[in-house]
Amino acid sequence: MTDQITRKVFLRRAAAGGSILTVPGLLAACGGGSSGPSTAGGSTVPHKLAKTLHFSNWTLYIDKKGNAHPSLDQFKKKYGVTVDYTEDINDNESFFSKIEPNLQRGQSTGRDLIVMTDNSRYPALLVQKGWVEKLDKSAMPNFKNLIPQQRHPSWDPNRDYSLPWQSGFTGIGWNEKLTDPITSMGDLLGNKKLKGKVGLLTEFSDTLALVMGYNGDDPSHITDKTFNKAIDTIQKAVHSGQIRQFYGNDYASALANGDLTATMAWSGDIVQLQADNSHLKWQQPDTGGDIWTDNMLIPKGGNVYTASVYMNFVYDPKIAAEIEDYVNYVCPVLGAKEALLKQDPAIAKNTLIFPTKQELDSAHTIDPAALNNEKYQTTWQNLISA
Amino acid sequence: MTSVAVEARRPRRSAPAKSLAFVRRHLLTLWSVLFFGYLVLPIAVVAVFSFNAPKGRFNFQWEHFTFSNWTHWNAIPGIQSAVQLSLEIAVIASILATALGTLMALALVRYGFRGRGTTNFVVFLPLSTPEIVLGASLLTLFLNFSTPLGFKTILIAHVMFCVSFAVVTVKARLVGFDRHLEEAAMDLGANEWTTFQKVTLPLIAPAILAALLLCFAISIDDFVVTYFVAGSRVTFPIFVWGAARVATPPQINVIGIAFFVIAVTAMLGNVFVQNYRAKQA
Amino acid sequence: MGVFRLFHRHQGATPYLLLTPGLLWLGLFFLAPLGFLIYQSLESGSIVAGFGFHFSWQWSNYWDALKGYTGEFERSFEYAGLATIIALVVSYPVAYWIAFRGGRWKNLLLLFIVAPFFVTYLIRTLAWQTILADHGVVVRILIDLHLVAHGGRVLATGTAVIAGITYNFLPFMALPVYVSLEQIDQTLVEAAEDLYANKWLAFLRVTFPLSLPGVVAGTLLTFIPAAGDFINATLLGSPTSHMIGNVINSKFNGTIDYPSAAAMSFILMAVILGLVLLYARAVGTEKLTG
Repeated sequence: MTDQITRKVFLRRAAAGGSILTVPGLLAACGGGSSGPSTAGGSTVPHKLAKTLHFSNWTLYIDKKGNAHPSLDQFKKKYGVTVDYTEDINDNESFFSKIEPNLQRGQSTGRDLIVMTDNSRYPALLVQKGWVEKLDKSAMPNFKNLIPQQRHPSWDPNRDYSLPWQSGFTGIGWNEKLTDPITSMGDLLGNKKLKGKVGLLTEFSDTLALVMGYNGDDPSHITDKTFNKAIDTIQKAVHSGQIRQFYGNDYASALANGDLTATMAWSGDIVQLQADNSHLKWQQPDTGGDIWTDNMLIPKGGNVYTASVYMNFVYDPKIAAEIEDYVNYVCPVLGAKEALLKQDPAIAKNTLIFPTKQELDSAHTIDPAALNNEKYQTTWQNLISA
Repeated sequence: MTSVAVEARRPRRSAPAKSLAFVRRHLLTLWSVLFFGYLVLPIAVVAVFSFNAPKGRFNFQWEHFTFSNWTHWNAIPGIQSAVQLSLEIAVIASILATALGTLMALALVRYGFRGRGTTNFVVFLPLSTPEIVLGASLLTLFLNFSTPLGFKTILIAHVMFCVSFAVVTVKARLVGFDRHLEEAAMDLGANEWTTFQKVTLPLIAPAILAALLLCFAISIDDFVVTYFVAGSRVTFPIFVWGAARVATPPQINVIGIAFFVIAVTAMLGNVFVQNYRAKQA
Repeated sequence: MGVFRLFHRHQGATPYLLLTPGLLWLGLFFLAPLGFLIYQSLESGSIVAGFGFHFSWQWSNYWDALKGYTGEFERSFEYAGLATIIALVVSYPVAYWIAFRGGRWKNLLLLFIVAPFFVTYLIRTLAWQTILADHGVVVRILIDLHLVAHGGRVLATGTAVIAGITYNFLPFMALPVYVSLEQIDQTLVEAAEDLYANKWLAFLRVTFPLSLPGVVAGTLLTFIPAAGDFINATLLGSPTSHMIGNVINSKFNGTIDYPSAAAMSFILMAVILGLVLLYARAVGTEKLTG
């Protein structure tokens, strides 16, 4: 099917889809909704579960107790499926480049489930190329627990191929022992006291969205002019020596050990990092942060039924709450907040995890067309690698 | 710059010159001591932090002493399989590369033949190619032939970059080899195969062993080439690379130091055996 | 057992039989890939326009690489060159010390030089990250000595990258230098000292020239891997200290821009090979490959 979708049509669709998330909806994300126990779905086709589910995820992105992952253990207990859980995704780009050769040749990637971010071009690309399998919704009665705002993203309008894992914000993290609060991008990019102690992110959308917000431009409708302006802003900061490095996941250690005073950072990370360094703070910049969603996808050749059963399992509000309790990102499952309030009220009250309306309102989303603009991507790559 | 290297072998001049020579002599020693301190410093840091019990994800702030990282060295998911894969690859690759390299070294030293210069050049070329080019070109090859990346491709790569080291190591020994011993054996009626087994092989055995160890060390430490051709397989260096971005469990230090201790013990043993033999001789 | 007719030169097929397996391996997995790399470097295509790269004599990949990444290319050779020189200066006296003063401890001292390098490369480099951290002891001392500006840093600078490269390739320098020093005939040195009546001059005129083969080998063994390195620049550097290896890596293992990454790899290799040959000619070491 996807072969027939030309790039143009795809882009048009993507643009028509508009912003990926409607912001206020997220507020309700983990509140309300059906929290009753899920009953077995109406699967009529005799499905067979595989012995093992190969699941590639980002690091530190699932519940952990000691060295075990309780939710995975429960899954095994309930379904008899061992999850081969690999934390081998460090950033969308390099992970995609790892699986791309196999996908292109129609070979299996050796994985049944992967997680990629919608503010990168890759989830859309995977769908467009026909490199992901259709979900087996008959095995997913808990699909109804997906928050309404997440049900129709532009790149997968009916969620035929994807299901959100977590959402999160991009903002500014800082070390309060080393600096006054850094709450504006102007401060981050220009405050002389921070020279050489500032990190930006290698992810195109994260950095661009925040910088464009600062420039007073709209990241959800990027033009050549606003794009170039943003690149200029960043370049100036790089040349002045303000920026120490462009980081992926690895900003965390530099922030925790004090090499970075302030950096662009992902909301959930900071909560986890406070174990390393209790002086870390996080906030969206006054000109707005960025919101994104990581999506579960079944790469071609993956076991659709087993992966679908697993997705259904994590959409049980109780399981979702368990995972949330550890990862501290924004969860897309209705009813999880109630479940979490019972388990760990402190976490449930943390505004990094259950953000305030104001935080949600000020978050930007990135223009999907810009993600596929080759010129922008090349410019960006040259900026961060040079 | 290299003034510290100025050598005063047998000072037999005036007293001030003598004392100057004395200082100089100790400057050289001091320099060497500093050098060894510099060499060991990072290793010491790694070793010390292998006994740390970090509070959070990162292991750079000293908290308190513990043995548990050593007793639970494989407690981090994925670390054990990574170490296993690295060891498997290193063992097979070093044996294969040393075998191929020894044969090549024999041919290069023992024979004059057409294409000898070219062969030498081909052996030398991988040594003068940066790893990233080796990795990139192999990846291109594998992609072109749709070879699935994994154990086999890692092994192929490791043998490839080890062969030249093996050739060079064995060749160095063969060049200084006394051919008369073999001729004597032949004169005594031994055939070539017997001579090779009984005379040549024992004589070049230390070189073969050295090549094996060198290849093993190079293989187990390789990151760059492996990163290109590993596909979804994770060797220990790749594990460290992935881990370093988000968390640095002390178990990484434990494995690093364990490799170190094993290697040093093996080499120390070798040194003592050599010294002992030298004394006997 | 024809293969083992080792004792007669011109034995016809024997040397070729001995060479075949090794040469086959190098041919298939070293030379052939280089060919594919060149082929790939002349392809065009991109991730958005579909994934099939196709061969189109895209010479512009080379010009674009040279034009767009001049800084990284220059930095690679600058950093590698500086690291090589520093490594030579640092390790020559030590190699000398071991060779002439080591006595029966020679082997043990050599072991100490090699031993640290059995700790995985990446772990060593990460350790430097800890040592050079902004709030660490080392940086504090350097600041007190006014070697680093107040509030300054070492990590995430070119200096840290050069230091890291120097450290990581040190044994490649120290060992060959040691080997060539160790082979020098002592009586020759003593004769020279008598002749020149100045140790420094004796060293310059006799000892150093005699150790030159080791110096040449050492500088090459250090410079070549250093020029292609990206680990040190990634872990210890900043965007303004990235080397060409960083770009090649990110294009191969990130943006999937194989053609231009291949072009850069090839340029890197060609420049290194050119430099090596020039250098070999300059120092007159014909036996470089032999």
